[in-house]
Amino acid sequence: MSEQNNTPDKSVQEKLTDLSELVGWFQGSSFQLETALDKFKEAEALADQIEKDLTKLKNDITIVKKKFDSDN
Amino acid sequence: MDAVLLSVSDFVDLTNQTLEYAYPVVQVEGEVAEFKVIQNKWISFKLKDDGAVVNCFASVYQMRTPLENGMKVIVVAQPRLNNKGFFTLNIKAVKPVGEGSIKKGFELLKAKLEKEGLFAPERKRPLPRAPKYVGVIASTESAGYADFIKIINERWGGLKVEVAHTQVQGLPAPDQMIRAIRYFNGLDELPEVLIIIRGGGSAEDLSTFNDEPLVRAIAESRIPTLVGVGHEVDHTLADMVSDVRAATPTNAAQIVVPDRNEIIRSAKAQANSVGQLLTQAIDNYSRQTHDNLSAAFARIQEKLETTYERLHTLRAMAAQLNPENVLQRGYALIRGEQVIGAVLEVETYKTIITTEVKDVRAK
Repeated sequence: MSEQNNTPDKSVQEKLTDLSELVGWFQGSSFQLETALDKFKEAEALADQIEKDLTKLKNDITIVKKKFDSDN
Repeated sequence: MDAVLLSVSDFVDLTNQTLEYAYPVVQVEGEVAEFKVIQNKWISFKLKDDGAVVNCFASVYQMRTPLENGMKVIVVAQPRLNNKGFFTLNIKAVKPVGEGSIKKGFELLKAKLEKEGLFAPERKRPLPRAPKYVGVIASTESAGYADFIKIINERWGGLKVEVAHTQVQGLPAPDQMIRAIRYFNGLDELPEVLIIIRGGGSAEDLSTFNDEPLVRAIAESRIPTLVGVGHEVDHTLADMVSDVRAATPTNAAQIVVPDRNEIIRSAKAQANSVGQLLTQAIDNYSRQTHDNLSAAFARIQEKLETTYERLHTLRAMAAQLNPENVLQRGYALIRGEQVIGAVLEVETYKTIITTEVKDVRAK
């Protein structure tokens, strides 16, 4: 199982960073054909997770109770 | 009935009590004349129209927009008779009215704040790309706020939005917004962005956002600010002093959060690009292996050819040494002792002759 699948608590931003790093790995000098297929699967899983996270997340909107019509 | 006898002081006090009872606050519209700043503390001017003129008096700190002779304004004031017998309007607030005066007030304050460097590009702070927590100052009953929330919800999720409901037009609006700015700046956990929004309106409505204390409060905010007021063509000092200007409340929502669909598309594209990189890498490895095999085969071929060539040469050399070839050229092979009377055997290419030695001489 990929590393990302074991870290579901990561934020979307962190997952996006992970995905960018994976792309960087493929383009960099650390690239190895032997591990490339696993990394590719990780990238696909991350993209799916990002889609799922972004689709299900709702915004939390609250109105401040304090009144601003006077200094008190 | 006899008139009441009063001292001058009592008369002034009684007049002021009567005025306070009858007109605790008045709003008077007129043109500014004889505008003066006294000792950098006090301001006096006359408010006039075609038929009358009245003295106005204020402290410098009550002026929220610069004034100049000829500007048309509404003053909110308390009428008073002072101890020297002059009737004045003690100013609580002044706001320019009419397009020309609003524009004049805007230009005067703009020049003042520009001189202080409040609009300088180096003061502008960047906004986070995808904030988790933002503060919003708006009228929650306005269409601009509804547009903002709609776009935020369409574009992004997981965002904590805390909204301070304030008036966004009219005399109380600037102070309410200033209090809201201070409220957000005083929180233990600061929002990552402070957004101030208001939909379109008349020049007079939007002039709220040219209020000097409000503009200064935005400039002083510890939280990076995003101001979206009016429409694309509307410019206010509040949006000029903010870290980022949005053309409209909708545009503010587009600026503050990324579009989830774009991010999903980008993530998918990145995953696809990784797939292409993998295919490309496999192709490269295959090509390299093929090239290596071709090179090895060519080397073997070359070695074989050299060996065949050498073999051919050796064969030719061996052929030249074959006695049969010499006999073929007409020579003969003689066997036997070279002494007189001995019998010799002479072998030619096609025959073997037996003969006798008759003579032996040295050459």
